[in-house]
Amino acid sequence: MALIQLKDISRTYKDGSVSVKALKTIDLSIEDGEFVSIMGASGSGKSTLMNIIGCLDKPSTGSYVLADQPVHKLTDSKLANIRNEFMGFVFQQFHLISKLSALENVELPLIYQGVIGKERKKRATEALEIVGLGKRTKHMPSQLSGGEQQRVAIARAIVSNPRLILADEPTGALDSKSSNNIMSIFKELNQDRKITIVQVTHERDIGEYGDCIYNIKDGEIDNIENIGNKRLVKEEK
Amino acid sequence: MSKPKRNKIYAFFVRCWFTSKMALNGVLSNTFRSALTILGVAIGVASVVSLMGIGEGARQSVIEQFESLGTNVISLKAHEADLEFQPDMATELVERVNGLEMATPVTQTYTNMRWRRDRSEVDIVGVNEVFPNIRDHNVASGQFFSELHVEQRSYVAVLGYNVATELTGGRNPVGQTIALDGQSYRILGVLEQKGEGKAENIDDKVVIPYTTAQRINEKRTVEEIWGKADSTENAELATIQLGRIFKKELNGNNAKPIPTGPSGPETEQPPGGNEQPDGGGEDGDEDDKDSGSSRKEQGMTITNLNQLVDEADQANRVMTLLLGGIAAVSLLVGGLGIMNIMLVAVTERTSEIGVRRALGAKKIDLLAQFLLEALYVSIIGVIAGVAVGVWSLSLFGNYGFPTAVSFEAIRIAATVALGTGLLFGVYPAISASSLPPVEALRRS
Repeated sequence: MALIQLKDISRTYKDGSVSVKALKTIDLSIEDGEFVSIMGASGSGKSTLMNIIGCLDKPSTGSYVLADQPVHKLTDSKLANIRNEFMGFVFQQFHLISKLSALENVELPLIYQGVIGKERKKRATEALEIVGLGKRTKHMPSQLSGGEQQRVAIARAIVSNPRLILADEPTGALDSKSSNNIMSIFKELNQDRKITIVQVTHERDIGEYGDCIYNIKDGEIDNIENIGNKRLVKEEK
Repeated sequence: MSKPKRNKIYAFFVRCWFTSKMALNGVLSNTFRSALTILGVAIGVASVVSLMGIGEGARQSVIEQFESLGTNVISLKAHEADLEFQPDMATELVERVNGLEMATPVTQTYTNMRWRRDRSEVDIVGVNEVFPNIRDHNVASGQFFSELHVEQRSYVAVLGYNVATELTGGRNPVGQTIALDGQSYRILGVLEQKGEGKAENIDDKVVIPYTTAQRINEKRTVEEIWGKADSTENAELATIQLGRIFKKELNGNNAKPIPTGPSGPETEQPPGGNEQPDGGGEDGDEDDKDSGSSRKEQGMTITNLNQLVDEADQANRVMTLLLGGIAAVSLLVGGLGIMNIMLVAVTERTSEIGVRRALGAKKIDLLAQFLLEALYVSIIGVIAGVAVGVWSLSLFGNYGFPTAVSFEAIRIAATVALGTGLLFGVYPAISASSLPPVEALRRS
């Protein structure tokens, strides 16, 4: 059984009397441990697809089974639990909470799980060490560079030991050096910790870090390219 | 890194703690804006507390004034010379009227007084020996005159507190003699101080037996009778009964009211139907409407002081509540301020809301956070407002206003302020929590 299984998924937005079909019919399955890139022009529906996979948005029709759970039938509160424990999010604009330090930001998902203070701090510190920010735990987001902020966001995404990381244009706001750094972290997480990664991007070279690329066009999957696990992880420092 | 053991209670506390921390963070994140909102609430609370405190102070001072006259006191006052009472009527009324415990004839006059070399003029009150019991007024020193003194028309006097201190400058005058209207009186005692500003200030008067006062007055009748009932209910009943007695007497023969009829239930219609309008007598500040507190029976007023107190108290309470109500409008404005700041906060933190939702926050987490934030603002506002209100009351007090910290006012102000804070916080909080996560994330 695949980790993610979408069947006949469609999503229609209603804007007044006009309804826009962002996704027409999507059938897709992602196996546990895969690194998938979703690519497409802006307006192609790739972000909508991402939001549905991330349980942030509900499909208009179709079924979505995530690790044997019929997600499209679950309540809001259950979805919050799934997002909290099962997946981690990385956004283009990092979306760190500016009033909280790097460590506190990473602690956030654990707070919603009710993990006690000491253990929470320990695990958050470990997560920051994984992304190479073990020494910047006390910094506020505004004191960190873009690349560092995104690494804090990745630490936040992995702190609850998720099986899935969803990244929406994770390098969209970064220079190429930071971008490659982020990608190598993803690659490591995917290979060493067997975390499934789904990322949306419009940059070809970023997309090629994945095992395969789903090309989306006009709300449908146009084709699937297999990259193979050929590409080496670039050592950047 | 293993999955934590889920302890639901513990998890609940962690989330509560974090939610309240984030709410506080929200209040503190824009100190100036929060301070302005808090100020709005505080002004509302402070005005309710101080205005109602002033009203309450006025009310209490009125009550004190009336209470200085004694409890369950009924006064009968004749306004025409030929309607004045025979002194014996006091005893007769005690026998005839149920619940009337004791009574004294009262006659007041004004005469010259000499103490050693000092001459002055003084008010004289002539009463019998039960006067201290009726007025709940004890002697500070010495003793009050006895029944025997009254019977024997003795030349004895009990001094009001101020009279005594003015005469002797602090030394005890008991046992000394004083001259009133050229006649020497032995000073038996000094009355306790009633205090300034009280109705009918006995502190400045000299009390002597009414029989002796009749000599000064050169007449046998007295203008007033004061009676005391044994309970509040009996004071009311006795007032009605007295009204009937005197109405019958006065209707029967328009001469001196010497009641002779039975005291049982009267067959006449209850009084009040043919009451004459207020003649504008000495009791101008009394409410002479048909309310039972005082009845005018053709040149005579029967007053139940209890009811006077109640009426005055009622009127003052209404005024206090009215003041509070007007001030409460400003509380509403404070509430609108909270709603305003909360709506701004929700808009500002839309993307934060989205991220938190993505990371696993539930609707209830966000609802609680924004509600708490509104509540914090109103709590701080209430505390500050109560402090300022109480402080301004003491300020008013220094300028001579009678003020009293009204706990009712504090309770009302706090409840209304917290209530409006919550009420006006609900809408922004719901709008924050019901924002779909995608929507919230997109709007960064």
